[in-house]
Amino acid sequence: MGSYLIRRVLRTLLVIVGISVVVFAFVRSIPGDPATALLGERATPQASAALREQLGLNKPWFINYKDPARLLDAQFPKYVGQLVQGDLGSGIKSNIPVRDELAARFPATAELAVSALLFALIIGLPAGIVAALRRNSVWDNLATTISLVGVSMPIFWLGLLLAYFFGVRLGWLPPSARLGNDTVLEPLTGFYVLDAILRGQPAAAWDAVRHLILPAIALGSIPLAIIARITRSSLLEVLGQDYVRTARAKGLAGRTVTLKHALRNALLPVVTVIGLQAGALLGGAVLTETIFSWPGLGSWVYDAISQRDYPVIQGGVIFAALVVSVVNLIVDLSYAALDPRIQYR
Amino acid sequence: MKKVLLTALLAALPSAGAATLVFGANGDPVSLEPGNITDGISILVQRQIYDTLVDFKEGTTDLTPGLATSWKSNANATQWTFTLRPGVRFHDGTPMNADAVVFNVSRWWDPKHPYGFRDQGRTFEIVGELLGGYKGDATAVIKNIVKVGDTTVRFDLNKPSSVFPNVMAAGYFGIASPTAIRKDGAKYGTPASRPVGTGPFIFQAWRTGDRVTLLPNKLYWGEKAKVDQLVIRAIKDPSQRLNELKAGTIDFTNDLTPEALKSVQADRNLVAVKRPSFNVGFVSLNNRNQYLKNDKVRQAISMAINKDAIVEAFWPGLGISNASFVPPVLAWANSKNVPADYKFDPQAAKKMLADAGYPNGLSIDLWYMPVSRPYFPSPKPIAEAIAADLSAIGIKVNLKTEDWAKYLEDRNKEPGFDMYMIGWTGDYGDPDNFYSAYYGATASDDINWNPPQLQRLLEQGRAAVSQADKAKVYAQIHEITYGANYRIPVVHSQPLAAARTYVKGWVPSPLGSEPFNTISVVGKR
Repeated sequence: MGSYLIRRVLRTLLVIVGISVVVFAFVRSIPGDPATALLGERATPQASAALREQLGLNKPWFINYKDPARLLDAQFPKYVGQLVQGDLGSGIKSNIPVRDELAARFPATAELAVSALLFALIIGLPAGIVAALRRNSVWDNLATTISLVGVSMPIFWLGLLLAYFFGVRLGWLPPSARLGNDTVLEPLTGFYVLDAILRGQPAAAWDAVRHLILPAIALGSIPLAIIARITRSSLLEVLGQDYVRTARAKGLAGRTVTLKHALRNALLPVVTVIGLQAGALLGGAVLTETIFSWPGLGSWVYDAISQRDYPVIQGGVIFAALVVSVVNLIVDLSYAALDPRIQYR
Repeated sequence: MKKVLLTALLAALPSAGAATLVFGANGDPVSLEPGNITDGISILVQRQIYDTLVDFKEGTTDLTPGLATSWKSNANATQWTFTLRPGVRFHDGTPMNADAVVFNVSRWWDPKHPYGFRDQGRTFEIVGELLGGYKGDATAVIKNIVKVGDTTVRFDLNKPSSVFPNVMAAGYFGIASPTAIRKDGAKYGTPASRPVGTGPFIFQAWRTGDRVTLLPNKLYWGEKAKVDQLVIRAIKDPSQRLNELKAGTIDFTNDLTPEALKSVQADRNLVAVKRPSFNVGFVSLNNRNQYLKNDKVRQAISMAINKDAIVEAFWPGLGISNASFVPPVLAWANSKNVPADYKFDPQAAKKMLADAGYPNGLSIDLWYMPVSRPYFPSPKPIAEAIAADLSAIGIKVNLKTEDWAKYLEDRNKEPGFDMYMIGWTGDYGDPDNFYSAYYGATASDDINWNPPQLQRLLEQGRAAVSQADKAKVYAQIHEITYGANYRIPVVHSQPLAAARTYVKGWVPSPLGSEPFNTISVVGKR
């Protein structure tokens, strides 16, 4: 177990190094650069060139091959020099340190992603179980239809629809943001619901929950559909296996068999899916956060891409890669807990 | 029963506090540091915190005293002396005086200024744009800044500029507390700092991606704010801004899409607010294209586009079309010899094309931007409408687009785009700010047509001191550019803003942002 962990951590580090090199070259190879994006309509060739020089963007990417005496006078070596000190640089125009902004925004995205996943599990798991147990019934067809709709509905469209219907027409829930205008909450962990509970502000906690509902539904719609389908097919497969039949033959109650023996084994693929969904949730957060003015990583990186804010895109992508790696490590470790046949060495 | 309870629970609003005014902005400010920004949202927030030396009269682009009570130039406009308002203090108690003004302007203009933080990524590019360059540059407008007395500052210029006070009035150039800049250092302007000005609101907090909160400045030298708190929220999606406004979670907003007008007018609780237009959306024709370098082809194109119908379709009640490159508030700069509107005459256009030697038509590319701009809120359908008008006279149009940043770059790369959509929003109320962006020494090189005569006239325009002299010069520029048909104005649009009915005293400025100290929210629940 210990050596396995060390191997996994080393592999993750290698992935991060690889990703930082790739994303560094990738953002710079996108046509259009920060100088042009910043200047907008003002971007004359002279103005862009002057700004490029001021920002050090006219230096070579990886190696200063023109001047062997100053081989490392290039953009990447400088970036690595910062990275080694734990500094991810600053936003090109805003001068906001990427590290500070990551720390401020990650909790918002994590809170949203976890809520979306909870929503997907609370609805998706029972739906999948019912669909499997009552195969080809009305319930099964309903669950299948809903999951089909969930997968095929674009997030931004669903988000706007939810905001309009529940926020404007019914007036039940706020259309966007994390807190109401009059709610004062001093962040602690950055998870607002948790912060409000820790600070003993029930009204603020409720306000935070109300703001979470719609974006969580929008972001959770796709994972919900996937979880429901995987649960259904995996449970069907397990129910047809020999040991289930044996258990039934021994006279165990049907409910005990399905819930205790079959379901536990059927959940393994679902756990895998949750791991895979970590990346998808971060990706979906880009749209969801933009629609719901949710101040997380997604909306931040989205803006940075249109502005070609290199340090922000790099920091955001590297951080996202780290998050996905860690989540998948946790998922792999939880297999062992679920399935005694799996052991890590 | 259960359902009723759920509805009641969900609708339970947090307890209403004191009078909070909430504005829905179309995003986050980039920075709260004056002189180092180019985007509208940063200007909007900075307008609340900072004052500029010179200000604009409510709802116009006319100058009025700001931190300077008066300003005057020498006879040929190469020296400008500003007399400062006495007794004004920054929010941190630092006195606003000549030293403070010299400190601010020097930071922007002098690359060697110890508090310019250029080694840490500061660029102050707007100074290069609007004031020709920096200390020591041959092209720079400012030669020297002199403290004459405690309340007097003089700017010596390298060349005559009658618009210098207008430039200093632009929202980029708020005056910040030198004490605060020294204290926060290179962090100044980021969320981790405390931006300090003399303006009607005091900065309280900035949660990026979410909101900036401000408190009223009880000691403001001008009209004091009428609310207990101002919240400027970042809501990127225009439909969401409308949703929030309808839900009452924001009080007022701007930059709604023109289609939202009907929805706003249909809502009893809302009023549509139109900003006076201060932009131009136009089509540029490239002289490098074999067909477009022909005068008659360009004339045919300008006659074939039904601008009125396009404006009616895409900016119903929110835009005007005329034959001027400058917006209606600057109409004094237009020539009497140029007709008010372009002629729309497809028959004549067809004949003109035949005269030019293309009786069977021709084929060109038309590029449109992939993003919504204030002057072209929905570029693609507008481009389609233009293409349809042109195909009616036998010009086959290939519609093209690409990413915005690349679009801006490629239009200036040889051979450029045949025909493309672009526009301009003004920084201050002077025709030079419009014409010089696309003609003259510092303009885009996108159409390969920039006659020396125009460059000379533009310099004369900047040097002309009296309004009458100015009007004469710009009338000539108008005639030349109108006759050449290289840039065909399609619209001067009025960006749609809207407010809840209890929002009183909001007078939107043509420049896109204004201080909110005049606004009250009596009757807001």
